[in-house]
Amino acid sequence: MAYLAPTEFVTKMVDAGESKLVMSTRDTLIRSYMAGAILSLAAAFAVTVTVNTGNALVGAMLFPVGFIMLYLLGFDLLTGVFTLAPLAVLDRRPGATWKAVMRNWGLVFCGNFAGALTVSIFMAIIFTFGFSEAPNAIGQRLGHIGEGRTLGYSAHGAAGMLTLFIRAVMCNWMVSTGVVAAMMSTSVSGKAIGMWMPIMVFFYMGFEHSIVNMFLFPTGLMLGGNFTLMDYFIWNEIPTVLGNLVGGLTFVGATLYTTHYKPRAQRSVA
Amino acid sequence: MTHPAPTPQERAETGAGAGQVHRGSAPRSHPGRTAAGRPLRVTVGQDSQAGDTGHNQDFHGVVVPTGTMLRSKGVAIALADGISSSPVSHIASATAVRGFLEDYYATSEAWSVRRAATRVVAAANGWLHAQNQHGDARFDKDRGQVCTFSAVILKDRSLHLLHVGDSRIYRVHAQALEQLTDDHRVHVGGGATLLGRALGVSTVVEIDYRCWPAEVGDLYLLATDGACVGLDAARVHAALAAHGDDLDAAARLLVRQAQASARAAGTRRPETVHETAHETAQGAADDATLQLLRVDGLPDPGSHGSLQDQRQGLALPPALSPRMSFEGFTIQRTLHVGPRSHVHLAVDEASGQPVVIKTPATDQREHDAHLDSFVLEEWVARRVDSPHLVKAFTLDRPRHHLYVALEYLEGQSLAQWMIDRPRPSLDEVRGILTQIAQGLQALHQREMLHQDLRPENVMIDRHGTVTLIDLGSTWVTGLHDEARSPGPDTPAGSLQYTAPEYFTGEGGSTRSDLFSVAVLAYQMLAGQLPYGLQIPRIRSRADAQRLQIDPLRNHRPDLPAWVEAVLRKALHPQPLRRQEAVSELIFDLQAPGAAFLQPRRVPLVERNPVRFWQTCTALLALALVAMTAWHVLDG
Repeated sequence: MAYLAPTEFVTKMVDAGESKLVMSTRDTLIRSYMAGAILSLAAAFAVTVTVNTGNALVGAMLFPVGFIMLYLLGFDLLTGVFTLAPLAVLDRRPGATWKAVMRNWGLVFCGNFAGALTVSIFMAIIFTFGFSEAPNAIGQRLGHIGEGRTLGYSAHGAAGMLTLFIRAVMCNWMVSTGVVAAMMSTSVSGKAIGMWMPIMVFFYMGFEHSIVNMFLFPTGLMLGGNFTLMDYFIWNEIPTVLGNLVGGLTFVGATLYTTHYKPRAQRSVA
Repeated sequence: MTHPAPTPQERAETGAGAGQVHRGSAPRSHPGRTAAGRPLRVTVGQDSQAGDTGHNQDFHGVVVPTGTMLRSKGVAIALADGISSSPVSHIASATAVRGFLEDYYATSEAWSVRRAATRVVAAANGWLHAQNQHGDARFDKDRGQVCTFSAVILKDRSLHLLHVGDSRIYRVHAQALEQLTDDHRVHVGGGATLLGRALGVSTVVEIDYRCWPAEVGDLYLLATDGACVGLDAARVHAALAAHGDDLDAAARLLVRQAQASARAAGTRRPETVHETAHETAQGAADDATLQLLRVDGLPDPGSHGSLQDQRQGLALPPALSPRMSFEGFTIQRTLHVGPRSHVHLAVDEASGQPVVIKTPATDQREHDAHLDSFVLEEWVARRVDSPHLVKAFTLDRPRHHLYVALEYLEGQSLAQWMIDRPRPSLDEVRGILTQIAQGLQALHQREMLHQDLRPENVMIDRHGTVTLIDLGSTWVTGLHDEARSPGPDTPAGSLQYTAPEYFTGEGGSTRSDLFSVAVLAYQMLAGQLPYGLQIPRIRSRADAQRLQIDPLRNHRPDLPAWVEAVLRKALHPQPLRRQEAVSELIFDLQAPGAAFLQPRRVPLVERNPVRFWQTCTALLALALVAMTAWHVLDG
């Protein structure tokens, strides 16, 4: 039997959230750094596939391999800990406080960012022959991908900001569903299939993923994108992070916790 | 302890001189097959010959059990040499060897080999000493029931050695014999020696103990001093080459050769405890006994052999739901569904008694270690009897599935208790702690560690009786190879109660359970954890040293200062700086010693940091004002 009952995997989610809070600083940083790097590599891969085939669907269909890889390797993405870590506090696990959650989120953010930045520098070097020539076709595509998703939003003002935020909410709704789907199964194949669908949806629909953006935008800036660092932060990264937080916590973490997780049978346990 | 008259045992081969028939003459290989995995296999050979006095005062024996006994207790081989000055020492050597081989196999499976074996030898010593106190021997030990004693136990993948006196245990190498024992002989000048240590001399005897890993192909040789004359590696290898796998014949040859050497050399050491004057006649041979033990096969490392045996043939249970009938129980309702196990309340159809059925969670069905813990939980619950530990449900029908049936405890968990009583009095907390400690002590006395103490695993019933549940993580020393140190196999659930030494890799001890008790005590009183989430983040000893405790007085200023001092000691990151036993912690909480009552002046900065910094700031502000004023006035 490779499928877990909802009550079982929701307990697993809470346990996973607790384990994120008690993780040492070193481990948290290493795991989030690696997650950021692998996801960035997958994003670079997906863009390459899209440019070479001219079909965005093919890129989106192949992008989940990166996510599956980092999940199976036990690395942590900010989007995942947004969903899982607060559950430990909701469940009143011993020692679990919002302060500990904030610490975890802060460390994972830094790790993810550093990992994504590393890959974006490496990729920029690859696409420009060590900055010695103009970026190739893929590099140009990467360079300009960020323009529409910063200046495009800012052109619409508040409406643009709302769209950006909602896209970020939708993104983590999908991504965290992938994380939970991976917990439902006990086999590697089951986990991979469970993660595939939601991740593919988010990538093809162009939802805003804070860590993918940590790769796309710095790479874009390096490869001649026509937007500034401030544009990136204000008109993309910060709203995306907040949207991811809301999406993961409300639509996945809190909903599953509330409906499937009974408080432990306190009065009659053995 | 009583020693019955010598009776032949089925599983034992005891042999002796002194007019008794030497049994077990044919050499044999003992496969000792068990249901699971590769078995422990040995080949044994032994022989004993009376010396020129005609009375054999040596005694020897070996037990190679089969099945679960081989798994839990291993192979034991022992010999004893009665002192030659005594007319009754042959009784002593027979008593010591027989008693050891019988009683060792009757000790608790939970005990370590060291504990079981040394206790049995100490008991034999006590018996012999008591016999000597009744007769003339109380004035002259040289005429009493006194003997040497040497034994080897091979269990799992480890060898254990016990030794008193001047018999010897050798490891046979290709080129040399390595003597593993010290001769307990005292030199008294003039080349004369006397036996420094022996069984039966005093009420307490110091027993040499060693333990080391066994290797396939190892050959061990046990010999009384009479068989050691002229013994060397070349002679042993020649005897082995002459007789091949017939180790009995090889032993017989070696014994004859030793006696021949003794007659030729004409020296014989006197065996006395006090007198040195027994210089023996030229050219006389002593009683000689020699045993050979060859390790032919070892069980697979790291396997809970006996637990796997019990798990054999049991199917994994189906998903249980209410009103379902399962193994003669009717399931009532589900109590708890966790990532490790599912807990159901059921009624025994035969007796109508409520019972708790625990089955493995879906996720864990392929993890052998976890499935072993199911067998372990019931194993422990059956063996340890304490009102403060959960009991196994007595089942008189064969079972077909892997599950645990435990008594049903009505009440609330300590986690719920803490929510219901946010600021309990010291007395309430002490009452609960004392009972937890009694449960733990029952485990500790049997060399077991609970290892998973947390509020969810402590149940409090309506009458206030506290019971520890979830014994699945228990460390049972007797079930493990002794080279390993305790550690949680699968750290799951709340690690906040686990002692730091588990995270630094030092392994647990009874003081680790003590630490967990202290965390519970602190949490009950303060409503917080003493170290927050810092403990599971520990990776090294340096991390452990950096642990910062949250002072109890910040949360409970109403409690006396000594409570904090006692808990601080119990919560020390270094196990050796804590109290020695859980009972000591409880005693300290009831009657604190002078060290805890010393009024420690707490500096203001610790006592009330806000007030401290407010005062500082005020003083600085005053200084600033004064200086400004001085500047202005000064012009």
